[in-house]
Amino acid sequence: MVADESRKRRVQLSYERIDIPAAYQFLQTPGAGGVAVFIGTARQWTGEIETLSLTYESYEPMALKEMHRLIDIADGKWPIQRVCLLHKLGDVCLTEASVLVGVATAHRAEAFAACRFLIDRLKVQVPIWKQERLTDGQKVWVEGNHPSR
Amino acid sequence: MLSFKVQLFSVLKSKLKADSVDLETPEGITAGEFLDLACAQYPTMVPYRRVMRLAVNQAYSEDAHILQDGDEVAIITPVSGG
Repeated sequence: MVADESRKRRVQLSYERIDIPAAYQFLQTPGAGGVAVFIGTARQWTGEIETLSLTYESYEPMALKEMHRLIDIADGKWPIQRVCLLHKLGDVCLTEASVLVGVATAHRAEAFAACRFLIDRLKVQVPIWKQERLTDGQKVWVEGNHPSR
Repeated sequence: MLSFKVQLFSVLKSKLKADSVDLETPEGITAGEFLDLACAQYPTMVPYRRVMRLAVNQAYSEDAHILQDGDEVAIITPVSGG
């Protein structure tokens, strides 16, 4: 596990399952009136293609820096009180959480907005890649998003 | 000349069957020129050239960025986390 935590933020890449209750517990703070949590999970069907499982790999030191950088940007846009950005690496089975983004703010609108910003930007900027294992035995790297210039 | 160990991930790692490759470059090379040279030396990369970006010292670099001796370099293809 590669983790970095302060009182306010938890950023983590881990080969262990994402501990969802622990993340929610971290996000709880008396000043927050809203906690938005997004959990990305492994999906079985993409159109007519069936996926058995996913495997994620990462350029870990850079991924952590990018995750922190995105939180820094979000922190400048919204009054964030607590934030979690957690991604699982290695094998992820169907329905399992691959990513968790959680934001606690005083009001719900900021929590939704910051959470949406973080997951959308993570999928474009953070050097993590997904490989799908399909029912026909193929292992396919998913065509990803181009990092913005 | 400068010598770099270029880290590879995802599809490039699979296609080249290696998690890094060596590349010697002239001094003063830019990130964009570096990627062109990598493709020339490792033609398996050519189909991905348009979507490759160079990370230098764990940050995305601009094409005009000039590499320095000892820089940590990695080729980043489009990411698919989440």
